[in-house]
Amino acid sequence: MLGRTLRSSSQAVPADFTQRMLRQIKQAEEQKILARVVLQERLALAGCFVIGAAAIIVMAAFPDTITAVFNSIVGSFTERGGALVSRIPQSIETIRDQWQLYTVFAAMAGFAVYSLVDLLAGGRLKTA
Amino acid sequence: MVYKALGQQKKDNWLRLLRSGDHGAFARFIDKYKETVFLCCRRLGLREDETEDVASETFMAAYKGLQRYRGQAELSTWLWSIAYRQAVSYLRKNRKQLQLEAEPDEFRQAGSGEEQGPAAAIQGEETEKIVWQAVERLPRLWAMAVILYYREEKGIIEIAKIMQTKENTIKTYLFRARRKLKKALAPAFGEDVDVGG
Repeated sequence: MLGRTLRSSSQAVPADFTQRMLRQIKQAEEQKILARVVLQERLALAGCFVIGAAAIIVMAAFPDTITAVFNSIVGSFTERGGALVSRIPQSIETIRDQWQLYTVFAAMAGFAVYSLVDLLAGGRLKTA
Repeated sequence: MVYKALGQQKKDNWLRLLRSGDHGAFARFIDKYKETVFLCCRRLGLREDETEDVASETFMAAYKGLQRYRGQAELSTWLWSIAYRQAVSYLRKNRKQLQLEAEPDEFRQAGSGEEQGPAAAIQGEETEKIVWQAVERLPRLWAMAVILYYREEKGIIEIAKIMQTKENTIKTYLFRARRKLKKALAPAFGEDVDVGG
């Protein structure tokens, strides 16, 4: 009798409880995404500060070594770039003459495209 | 056999949707188990406003924990254990004295105050009311064990897992609760009232 009676009874639950729960869950998910984005931004900012500070300290502490390293990198870059550009046909004379400038332009254009894609579809890609 | 397999497949699909965070599947999950969670909170002595808060916390915890649920226990048992933990934790935080195991001051007999002999024809809602009143007057942990055993049809091992205690403790709760219930229900239903065994 006890089991039958207890099973047959029902509990009063607020009518809109399920809808309210779903709203809470959606809010919690939005907050979680927001918190993740904020964390990413903070980490990026902190990274900029740390790397910047580290660069200043290293340059102040070892100026000669840094200058030598940079000269070596620039020399190597110019040498390799020159070899690459010599393969480009003569018709693209302008690029051949100012290849360093166009390399910087290409890098900037690449970064602009990346930023645009991130702005338009980044959120969807990260949450997918 | 085929129906059973189809039922299992349907259940597996539902679980997969639940784990993937599907809101529609979770709405069905809430609808299916909300009464259970409210019952658990109420029987542990939470007020109505507290019951709603703890029920919300229980479903939020379930939503977050579903990805880790591997089907080792029945879904209802798993949810019961979350609801039980949330309610007990709420009581510990918000009440100075936790009287889950305390004996009531006076075990009033259900149905007393009215002239109802053993032969009285008590049926339907009246029976339900008297039985619930008797269960409510049990110490909360006894009442919880009775509800899980008789209403939810859980086994002793499952109840022990939900209530995080030993199986023998559950057996003791049930034994004492039956004795009290028999005494409480006797005036309304007669000395040989069936409270299970």
